[in-house]
Amino acid sequence: MTANTGRWIGRTYLGLVLVFLYLPIAIMILMAFNRSALYELPFTFDTVWFEALAKNDRLLTASFNSVVIAAVNAVIATTIGTLAALGLARYSFRGKRLLQILLFPPITIPWLIIGTSMLVFFFWTGIGRGLHAILLGHVALSLPYVIVVVGARLASFGPQLEEAAATLGATPWQTLWRVTVPILAPGIMAAALFAFAVSFDQFVISYFLASPGTSTLPVEIYTSIRKGFTPEINAISSIIILVSMGLMMLVVRHFRFGGER
Amino acid sequence: MSSVEIAHLCKRYDSVTALDDVSIAFEDGEFFGLLGPSGSGKTTLLRALAGFVIPDSGTISFDGQRVENVPVHRREIGMVFQNYALFPHLTVNENIAFGLSVRGRPREETAKRVDAMLGLVRLEGLGERKPRQLSGGQQQRVALARALVIDPKILLLDEPLGALDRRLRQEMQVELREIQRSTGITAVFVTHDQEEALTLSDRIAIIDRGRLIQVGPPRDVYERPETVFAAQFLGDANLFQGIAEGDRLKLSGGQILHTNGPNTGSVVVRPEKIGVYPAGTAPATDNRLDGDILQAIFSGASVTYRVRVPALGETPLLAFLQNQAGDVLAPATRVSLAWSAAHTIPVAS
Amino acid sequence: MDATGRRRWAIAGLTGPAYLWLALTVFLPLSAMFYFSFLTAAPIGGRESAFTLEHYIDFFTKSVYWFNARRSLELGVHVTLICILIGYPAALVLAKQISGRWREALFLLIILPFWSNALVRTFSWTMVLRGDGLIGRMINPLLPAGWEFDLLFTYPAIVIGLVHAYLPYAILTIYISLQAIDDSFIEAARSLGASRLKAFRRITLPLSIPGVLAGIFLIFVPVIGSFMEPRILGGKNAIMLGPIIENQFVTAFNWPLGSALSFIMLGIVLLVLAIASPVLRRHLSVG
Repeated sequence: MTANTGRWIGRTYLGLVLVFLYLPIAIMILMAFNRSALYELPFTFDTVWFEALAKNDRLLTASFNSVVIAAVNAVIATTIGTLAALGLARYSFRGKRLLQILLFPPITIPWLIIGTSMLVFFFWTGIGRGLHAILLGHVALSLPYVIVVVGARLASFGPQLEEAAATLGATPWQTLWRVTVPILAPGIMAAALFAFAVSFDQFVISYFLASPGTSTLPVEIYTSIRKGFTPEINAISSIIILVSMGLMMLVVRHFRFGGER
Repeated sequence: MSSVEIAHLCKRYDSVTALDDVSIAFEDGEFFGLLGPSGSGKTTLLRALAGFVIPDSGTISFDGQRVENVPVHRREIGMVFQNYALFPHLTVNENIAFGLSVRGRPREETAKRVDAMLGLVRLEGLGERKPRQLSGGQQQRVALARALVIDPKILLLDEPLGALDRRLRQEMQVELREIQRSTGITAVFVTHDQEEALTLSDRIAIIDRGRLIQVGPPRDVYERPETVFAAQFLGDANLFQGIAEGDRLKLSGGQILHTNGPNTGSVVVRPEKIGVYPAGTAPATDNRLDGDILQAIFSGASVTYRVRVPALGETPLLAFLQNQAGDVLAPATRVSLAWSAAHTIPVAS
Repeated sequence: MDATGRRRWAIAGLTGPAYLWLALTVFLPLSAMFYFSFLTAAPIGGRESAFTLEHYIDFFTKSVYWFNARRSLELGVHVTLICILIGYPAALVLAKQISGRWREALFLLIILPFWSNALVRTFSWTMVLRGDGLIGRMINPLLPAGWEFDLLFTYPAIVIGLVHAYLPYAILTIYISLQAIDDSFIEAARSLGASRLKAFRRITLPLSIPGVLAGIFLIFVPVIGSFMEPRILGGKNAIMLGPIIENQFVTAFNWPLGSALSFIMLGIVLLVLAIASPVLRRHLSVG
């Protein structure tokens, strides 16, 4: 086998893998634009389901909840996560190793277990279920990602800039706002988008912490699927997938620009 | 302009002693060099002056006031970092103005002083550039301007010329000196490069493993090292050891060396103080030894001879000669080495 | 306040909020659930409860739980194996054959679906796999009699859904470790007479093992703990630990049992971690 044949086999294989990865998504988006509710061919283009979606109050409310929670989550998680990243990156102290290790459980423990334990604890302590509980959970999940992303950016420019600012007479507060944050900005943006995406797409935790009646979009879609399929689900799902993937591309773009320096 | 003094400074990190009872009184307006190998504690000392390192014990005083507990941003120091640490998101003007702007100085005054600084470091017209658009030498001057514009009590420099290539380094050495002289500021810099230390400093301190080995003007420290370490770290040195007999040193082969004052069994002789002559033609000097040339290294303006001398055993004796005559003695030539007692320096064992 | 005190306050102030949040939402809840797992009934709403080990004992004695745990582990093994087998060649092609902008673009394309909404992704598979879905309608007329394409609510459907979800993980970790292998190693081996295949087997493969192990760990754990994909794609066939635990909390309301089962699952996860950890630590510290 020549190197060229090998190359073509390799590329074909990669192509097949990509087809596998995008096949269901493509079909779903296709079906969202199909007039038939039952997968009947031939395919006739129609936006009827999107119109139906606009009238579906449950889905719309759930979408609204998802967006709001994701946004608030992004703000909270990015703020306290950035502070934590600063503490971990710029200081060395006993117990730092432990703190770094403690970032692992939220991302390595199956979400099922995290979700059920939150449910148990919140009920027991009276925090209860609902959108506020979901927010608590989402921030916890986003924090490790924020801390790692911001931490990486902090590591890339070391403490000298902040030290220089201090020698020039800037108080820690001034240093933070005039030096650290501006330079950190791309990393913070990327972390915020990450946090938004993590929250917006989150299903498991939201599922356990949702109270009957108010929930987020993924949970709403799940219950709809379990009850019986309505084609509006196709429509909203297509929208979500495109939004999530779009967000991710934004993150990569931003992060790369920041890391370019 | 102020007096800066450190007394009995100690600092340990776990089992490593970074600073061991270090005391120095810096003189007003002097350019002071801290010289030592890596890990010697020189950077720790500099950072202690800046306030990034808090000593375990000892005092640091600016103008008689103790500052060990004063945070960095209130010490009124100016610091130039090894890689300059220019703020990448600010222009040259904004970088230099930073110290003034965080102190809340009015815009006009700041602008004037920044302009004056740009003139002093000869970077006029580059004010609106960003650091990444400047060369290494230019960046260093911005760093210097930024530190000086705030009128600090003391200027601290961490390996200031380390990142520059040879030619640039020589230019900057001269400029740095001139700028420091014209502003009259007391400056302390850290380096592992002995040439830099010699050319820039009014006084040098040699540090090794946290201890101050020797302090003094470069010429004194160079010509009269007090320890073997000082002799070998600052320049090259031939070390002779034997039995002390007052003003004389008896070597293992029985030869006698005349030393500059009483010795305690160890003396050093700098290579450039030794004359190399074909055997038997050496003039009558205090000290004379015979040997065979192992290697002759021609470096253009000078020649280095490595000579096997029985008194030194396996270690070759080093001699530097200026290339005046233009001829080089070949290896295996038998030679006589001659130098004076005044250049045979007793050192602590 | 002196400098050391200031420093302590700074560290506490910076890391405090985040870790307090994590304590409240992750560490305390886990502890609470651990406590619950030893009670006869959930101590909420004034109910009486007593200490018991019965839930844990039930797991080891009642065969239904063993059976489910085994099914979960099997699922984990199947999905992980398939992900690695499919992912390794893909990562190899990406790392060694493609370069420059194409490589970045393809890498992004492969990772993107992973970051899309998991629920929606799983849902989209139902449409592909059902007998009367798009593919079904196209293929079934062509299949010989007796054969039918209707994979929904079968075990293979669950596997396909999970493989689709975690394949990018496998490609990612293997790609990273392959990329770190300097081409000059391969060139050196070939100059010493090794054939392409031999060079791969003796140099590339061993050096990429850490990436494979990282992938295994990152895939195996979530798969064991999954309940959403099995439910949606497997329906009644989703007889695994994940769905059973979910059941205890949402339908059966036997929270202590659910808690115990959760911790048993956590124990399994930690066991896997303990086995994989030494190798992982070496890989992670080198990288």
